[in-house]
Amino acid sequence: MEFSLTEEQEFFKKTVTDTIDRMVVPKAREIDEKDEFPWELWRQFGKLGYLGLRYPEEVGGMNADPVTAMIFYEQIARGSVGFAQSVIMNILMGTYFIYRFGSDEIKARCLYPAIKGEKIGTMCFTEDQSGSDLSATRTTAVKEGGEWVINGTKMWITNGPIADMATVLATTDPKLGAKGLNFFLVEKGTPGFSAGQVLDKLGCRGTVTGELVFDNVRLPQENLLGEEVNKGTEYLGEILDEVRVMTGAMALGIAQAAFDEGLEYARKRVAFGKSIGSYQLIRAKFADMATDMEASRLMIYYSAWRIKEKLSSRKEAAMTKMFATETCLKVVDEVTRIWGANGFAREYDPQRHFRDARFLLYGGGTHEIIKDFLGRMIIGKS
Amino acid sequence: MDRILIFVETKGNEIKKASLELLSEGRNLAQTGRFAVEAVVIGEVAPSVKEAISLYAEKVVHIVDPLLDTYAPEGYSLALADYARISQPRMILAGATHVGRDFLPRVAVLLECGIASDVTAANWLDEPVTLVRPVYGGKVLSEVVCEEAPFLVLTRPNTFDITGPGEKAGEVVERHASLPAGSVKTRMVRREEKPRGKVDLTEADIIITGGRGLKAPENFTVLEDFAAVIGGTVGATRSVVDAKWRDQEDQVGKSGKTVSPKLYIAAGVSGAIHHIMGMDTSKVVLAINKDPNAIIFNYATYGIVGDLFEVIPAMTAELKKRLGRA
Amino acid sequence: MNIVVLAKHVPDAEALIEIKGTGEKLEIEQKFAVSLFDEFALEEALKIRERLGGRVKVITLGTGKAIEVLRTGIAMGADEALLLDHEAFLGGDGYATALSLSRAIAKEACDIVLCGKQAVDDDRGEVGPMVAQFLGLPHVGSVVKVDIAEGRAMAESLVEDGRVIFEVPLPAILTTQKGLNEPRVPLVTGVMKAMKAQIPRATPEDLGLDPNQIGLAGSKVRIRRYLPPKKRSQVQFIAGDAPGAAAEAVRILIDVERVI
Repeated sequence: MEFSLTEEQEFFKKTVTDTIDRMVVPKAREIDEKDEFPWELWRQFGKLGYLGLRYPEEVGGMNADPVTAMIFYEQIARGSVGFAQSVIMNILMGTYFIYRFGSDEIKARCLYPAIKGEKIGTMCFTEDQSGSDLSATRTTAVKEGGEWVINGTKMWITNGPIADMATVLATTDPKLGAKGLNFFLVEKGTPGFSAGQVLDKLGCRGTVTGELVFDNVRLPQENLLGEEVNKGTEYLGEILDEVRVMTGAMALGIAQAAFDEGLEYARKRVAFGKSIGSYQLIRAKFADMATDMEASRLMIYYSAWRIKEKLSSRKEAAMTKMFATETCLKVVDEVTRIWGANGFAREYDPQRHFRDARFLLYGGGTHEIIKDFLGRMIIGKS
Repeated sequence: MDRILIFVETKGNEIKKASLELLSEGRNLAQTGRFAVEAVVIGEVAPSVKEAISLYAEKVVHIVDPLLDTYAPEGYSLALADYARISQPRMILAGATHVGRDFLPRVAVLLECGIASDVTAANWLDEPVTLVRPVYGGKVLSEVVCEEAPFLVLTRPNTFDITGPGEKAGEVVERHASLPAGSVKTRMVRREEKPRGKVDLTEADIIITGGRGLKAPENFTVLEDFAAVIGGTVGATRSVVDAKWRDQEDQVGKSGKTVSPKLYIAAGVSGAIHHIMGMDTSKVVLAINKDPNAIIFNYATYGIVGDLFEVIPAMTAELKKRLGRA
Repeated sequence: MNIVVLAKHVPDAEALIEIKGTGEKLEIEQKFAVSLFDEFALEEALKIRERLGGRVKVITLGTGKAIEVLRTGIAMGADEALLLDHEAFLGGDGYATALSLSRAIAKEACDIVLCGKQAVDDDRGEVGPMVAQFLGLPHVGSVVKVDIAEGRAMAESLVEDGRVIFEVPLPAILTTQKGLNEPRVPLVTGVMKAMKAQIPRATPEDLGLDPNQIGLAGSKVRIRRYLPPKKRSQVQFIAGDAPGAAAEAVRILIDVERVI
């Protein structure tokens, strides 16, 4: 068992950490306070080339394996979740099916600009009546002549209102449930495609999240992202695990940001003549947080390694997402306690990590669903 | 008897502060009877200044050469090293000013000897001489020694007390460096002095620094008024410099200037560690902050919990009364 | 133009430092970075190459993780790197370190050498001018602006009371100060190149140096021990409303502390 990062990965981690510290961390507070998409930062970031992280060098990407990618996801989430969500959506979910199934023209129009940060992509699953239960998808895709006609409304779409292209999950027949799902590419400017309400969120502010409306949107055959019809669920399986582990990595990044704040405070803040870090109860909190974060880290990188090695990873990815999220929620809570009244002040950062962490509860699957799924997998269908 | 050479830096008719501190130390050392102290000046130096220096040392050696008329590190180092070879001092002292730190290392290479830069304490009478210099931005102090003579010591301004001059004037001699043609390739084109005429932060006795608590660049006038009454210099934290409210030259901190004034006043400064590392050796620190738990109070001698916009003007008014200045 | 950059691997500014025992050694948290002022040197080297063409070579003296400094240089755009990688090089004072580095530079045909004005761990500021003296080259210290044309450099030094502009023929050494430039963040393509780079190393023998001329053995100044900085006693709060506290503060500063 080889538990260390390679020398190259260590260097990558150091460079990414430093880049995030210089470019993103100083802007994190402002992004959260203004709740506006940071276009200038997005442009600068696009020029650096990280948006092509998971794609081959031939298309301008970095060809990073899942383990290396987790290093990046963790650091950018540590910097600013509001910015990270948009970036990560573009790096993976918002572009993957275009990369995987798009024609050369579609790639030229959508993928390569997205990798450069010139266009923004998103992936649309969630609807008013369906979140974790994809089989309840109501957005329909009907073949009419040579075209596909899409009708429906998607909600909670990261980057939705500002996206240049959306990979939309739609069903050819609701009665088919999970067996009727497909991915379609819908580009901005297509008649019938519009952005609806923008959500005012508790955390991850900066990312523009909202509703997308598809009203008789007509698409050519090539916009069906898939080799066959109704294979959407299978195709999703190609990245589902990575999406879950990635969510875990984001959780660890947020936890780390909060943890570092807690540590600095514990070392410097004085109460009753001593730094509060000298008190046993405070020390216990750090012992617990550090232990859980260490365990999260191992799970994240182990699961990523399994994905890289093409070993089965469904179980590990689900466990990782859940464990890392629960850890993060504990850490952001503890840190606000360590900060005392200052943990309640908008002026300081712990409250922002506290708010940001809540998205983890549903991103990548709710824990209720995951536990049911895992329990069933372990016990077997009875 | 050991010889000590003190390189004295001058500007116009003034002896620079760090040099004056060393001349005072030199006087004290000469009085022990164990040391012969000589002052060395290089290049264009006014006679009145040489006279003033001569009241501190038994000899003032003025090294001249056309190639030394303006400062250039190559020329100054050749001149000083050359005289050191002749006079065989045990140590050569200079202020750790820009000029001192710029050319004395070259002297060390010419003489193949040791140098301690930015020294903040010295036990001249120890055997060997022990010198203290801060490292890691001042987080730790290191005690260094150099066993062989000669050795060079650059002392940080505001480290030693300045005593008055003696009564007996030492000899003033001129020495021609005879630098070889082409040995000085650097040419000083011009000087651009800050139009403010204020004491530089690194030499100031009193500094008042403003942080983000000042809320806006215009509000720095509150500090400037205060500084004007007591002859202090206004400093700035990194965050206000980054916000472009104040110049880089005014920044106190690890990536700015390290200062050791007698009095340091921090107004609206939270006390980030990189700032602390730039001023922690100040003798007396007064911090004014609205937040009673501001970290700066852990590094202050005195603290006032209050609104700086009320406290500072009140102090300015009180100082005007006490010092009889309008 | 052939540009050489000297860059040092130092503990990160936030790394915890503890004095061990009675001060014989320090325990430092294992977090590292490129010394701040050397970043400006690296950036300026790349800018000069952008303007005038040429090659940038980065040299670091250090072992183990010190190679990351060179990878960072390459990631930012440097063409070549060299690691002075041997225990004998380590622990040197300014003199011994400058001697080693100057030998490494002497093997290059170089037009300009850039390095930070001081390393942020030892804070000595000696290596730049010393390397210049060892190589018999002119130098300008604490540079905040550089213009190069026709084999000469106009360099602005930041001094206590303003700036001094020097003109110096190349080859020359410039030590860099904050305000010179804004170091770039490396592109992913640079990072990838750096990750794969094979970096050459030099031993004392390669540079024609004897182990007792360099490193700790060749040092003229020795660190005898480390001491903690003087601890300030706990703060005394001056109570009262603003006018009252202000008056009391003035009294203390003038009559008690005598600092005004």
